[in-house]
Amino acid sequence: MDINYIGEHLWAGQLGQISIIIAFVSALVAAIAYAFGARNDAAFSDWKLLARSAFSLHIISVFSIIGTLLYMLYNGMFEYHYVWQHSNSEMPMRYIMSSFWEGQEGSFLLWLFWHAVLGAILLKTSKTWEAPVMSVFAMVQMFLVSMVLGINLGDVIRIGSTPFLLLREHPDFMNLPFLQNATYLDKLDGRGLNPLLQNYWMTIHPPTLFLGFASTLVPFAFAIAGLWKKKYTEWMKPALPWTFFGVMILGTGILMGGAWAYEALSFGGFWAWDPVENSSLVPWITLVGAAHVMVIQKNRGQSLIMTFVLTAASFVLVLYSTFLTRSGILGETSVHAFTDLGMSGQLLVYLLAFLFLAIGLLIYNWKHIPKSKDEDSLYSREFWMFIGALVLIISSFQIMFTTSIPVWNKLFGTNLAPPLDPIAHFNSFQIPLAIILSILIAVTQYFKYKKTDPQQLAKALTIPFLLSLVGTAAIGYFMHYTNIMYIVMLFTSLFLIIANLNYWLRVLKGKMKIAGASVAHIGFGMILLGAFLSTSKTQIISMNTSGTDVESLGKQGDFSNRENILMMKGDTLRMADYFVSYVGKRKEGVNVFYQVDYLTKTNDTYELAFSLYPRVQTNPRMGNIAEPDTKHFLHKDIYSFVTYAEVETEEAEEKPEEYKNTSTKQVAPGDTLFAGTAIVIFNGFEREVDAAEHGIQEGDIAVAASLTAIDISGKKYEVKPIYVIRDRMALPIPGELKELGLRFVLNKVIPEEGKAEIAVYEKPDNYREFIVMKAMIFPWINILWAGCLVMIIGTILAIRRRLKS
Amino acid sequence: MKKTHILAILVIAIAIGAIMTTVSDSSTYSNFSEAIENPGKEYHVVGQLDKEAELIYDPEVDANLFTFNMIDNKGDNHLVHFAGSKPQDFERSEQIVLIGKYENDAFQASKILMKCPSKYNEGQSGEMQEFTAETASS
Repeated sequence: MDINYIGEHLWAGQLGQISIIIAFVSALVAAIAYAFGARNDAAFSDWKLLARSAFSLHIISVFSIIGTLLYMLYNGMFEYHYVWQHSNSEMPMRYIMSSFWEGQEGSFLLWLFWHAVLGAILLKTSKTWEAPVMSVFAMVQMFLVSMVLGINLGDVIRIGSTPFLLLREHPDFMNLPFLQNATYLDKLDGRGLNPLLQNYWMTIHPPTLFLGFASTLVPFAFAIAGLWKKKYTEWMKPALPWTFFGVMILGTGILMGGAWAYEALSFGGFWAWDPVENSSLVPWITLVGAAHVMVIQKNRGQSLIMTFVLTAASFVLVLYSTFLTRSGILGETSVHAFTDLGMSGQLLVYLLAFLFLAIGLLIYNWKHIPKSKDEDSLYSREFWMFIGALVLIISSFQIMFTTSIPVWNKLFGTNLAPPLDPIAHFNSFQIPLAIILSILIAVTQYFKYKKTDPQQLAKALTIPFLLSLVGTAAIGYFMHYTNIMYIVMLFTSLFLIIANLNYWLRVLKGKMKIAGASVAHIGFGMILLGAFLSTSKTQIISMNTSGTDVESLGKQGDFSNRENILMMKGDTLRMADYFVSYVGKRKEGVNVFYQVDYLTKTNDTYELAFSLYPRVQTNPRMGNIAEPDTKHFLHKDIYSFVTYAEVETEEAEEKPEEYKNTSTKQVAPGDTLFAGTAIVIFNGFEREVDAAEHGIQEGDIAVAASLTAIDISGKKYEVKPIYVIRDRMALPIPGELKELGLRFVLNKVIPEEGKAEIAVYEKPDNYREFIVMKAMIFPWINILWAGCLVMIIGTILAIRRRLKS
Repeated sequence: MKKTHILAILVIAIAIGAIMTTVSDSSTYSNFSEAIENPGKEYHVVGQLDKEAELIYDPEVDANLFTFNMIDNKGDNHLVHFAGSKPQDFERSEQIVLIGKYENDAFQASKILMKCPSKYNEGQSGEMQEFTAETASS
């Protein structure tokens, strides 16, 4: 029985799907045509027209896919699963791009888009390299398009997942009754973009990161072309500016992710060594290594193999990173991995194909790749740059090995879980490596290629070395560093910055044109220094300073770490240099903002310094999520987030005189109960009850619970709620403390355990709203962000220089 | 011996060091009974919240203590102490991974990963969320 659905825009999905198929076929044709054309010049002139037309058609169809999906999102065509899943009619249009790439299919399209853009540029600029380079490009595109193809081969194999699938065709939904209704679209609205992602970071971070990923393909394509055409060294010249470009964009994308985590998520920092973060960091490290060995290769034959390895590794690791984050293999180990769309097999094929292509070509050409017979001098720049590249390889290997634990479990059937404290684990390796690397970056520029005079070298390095020592002593003294490892780290990052600054200003005479390397290195040093200062001296300021000594009351174990502060509405508590006060909350959409005032006190008068509004997002998909609010100063950030709070904003509609049950607990003698105005101790049972006072009759069984209440000022009150059994009926007689606005009811007596169940009732005005908050200071974190900018500027200078030469 | 060889040996040595550290730093996915047999040793325990038992979080007493019961994948039910605030929407969790050790008659979790069902699609899991206890800064 066919249903004639009303209001669907079937043409849009068909247009999109046809574009996908054209994009796939044209990439295949371009890859083959370019491959034939790559044989020689004569062949190229035969194949050129077909190859270029096919690739141009591919670019157009990629744009057409993207345009169609955007059009569907813009017009809210919720009959399509992707549109339904990632947007809704209430979503502001500025988030349309975020909803576009929120899902896996969309992020593959984003990746395809950047490859298409880079491919278009290369089509115009690669000249003699066009045929082999574009062949590799087209092959990669073909694989990528297959990820969104959405074609079933038989019943088992599904190739790709298309964003143009109708909701009623989606296997999870097709049998739902509402989709059997011809007018189902009238009432249908989308699920909407995850509120957590409705911010500008989601608009800028993915495109930057994916442009970074995409730009690793360019040097890879040139390296493959170099091996293919047996031009083992010539490929590097056009590839080098692109490698620097990739270093810059991918680095920016990664740090943007860190900034996002820091600004908008309550991880408590900018870097957590999360598997998803790691898997984009590692290709960046190898790409940095590739860029550096490309620079030295003209002076050192030995590193040619390493250049191929690192260049290929960067791209293959991007694929591996995609595999890790999208195959669902990270499952229980990562917070923000994608869910499995059943494409892990396809991703694996894709990954292995390019891995074996690179390895195969390298082995095939091994004998012909020129290798220098001479050993490098210890006093040459190329030797130390080579060592630097080795350090980068070790660093990336260590990160990747640990991050891949779920993969090892799959491969070897082991049952390893990731390190309990990933930050300590990674730091134990990466900090020593960072120290070695800092020293290498500091001194290597002072070496000359081939041979350096040791005396001159020592002379040139004396001033930066001494300055760094002075700087370390000063900072170490003022910031109270005592740990030797920290002092070494502080010294080496300062040395890195000062030595490069000195090299640029004194050796290069401050010339901008050739300053690229020095400036980029200064930026990198600032990132290390900022990361080091802010994380090593992170100060948690939200220690519990509320009047009551809660520690002695906690019966459970030895939880002495008190990093969360409890603030009653209206109270003012001391927190580091400030007095903080929880003012109240306000609801805006899915977000509940908690206003916390920070006050300074001078001569007994409080003055408002600033207010922070950490919030809790009542996220329908992920539960409630705390988002921090940070006060930025030049030299420090005060970062705070709510760890526990009530999110309901409606005021309780109760008469002020009525008592409200606030807690009910089973207690043994000696246990404590808590009420808004007092701490209550259960002393034990009393058999003797004043019969006349409480109207106890003959035959009744009565028992009283003796309670002592201690109010905030330490004053003690006695109260005895009574439990009476008359004719097998329980008749509790409440005990009341009018002064404190408290009433106690002995609900139950459990003789075998010697316990009593006591309910505490409080007058509503006793009950005050509170929040639990965590706050910390990150000192000098701005050095890190400034370092990013400096590194970007340095890389742009380097790219300009390489493009001109 | 050539410098290249020395370097190669060094690199291999460090790489082996990295592998060893990873293996020794890693913990294992396990269950309560194994954690109880080796008190003090850290484990990842996967299971589900015991929704019958009481969840206790009283921030006015201790903002850094949350206690609940979890049933591990073998069906063992144990008391869990989490040295942190109660994760929002904890009651709705469908799967929990606890990271911590067994001590003082309870599993002392230093980290909780939890998965909540999505409100929209029955049966489809939502994203994994992570909650870390306030570990002492040394």
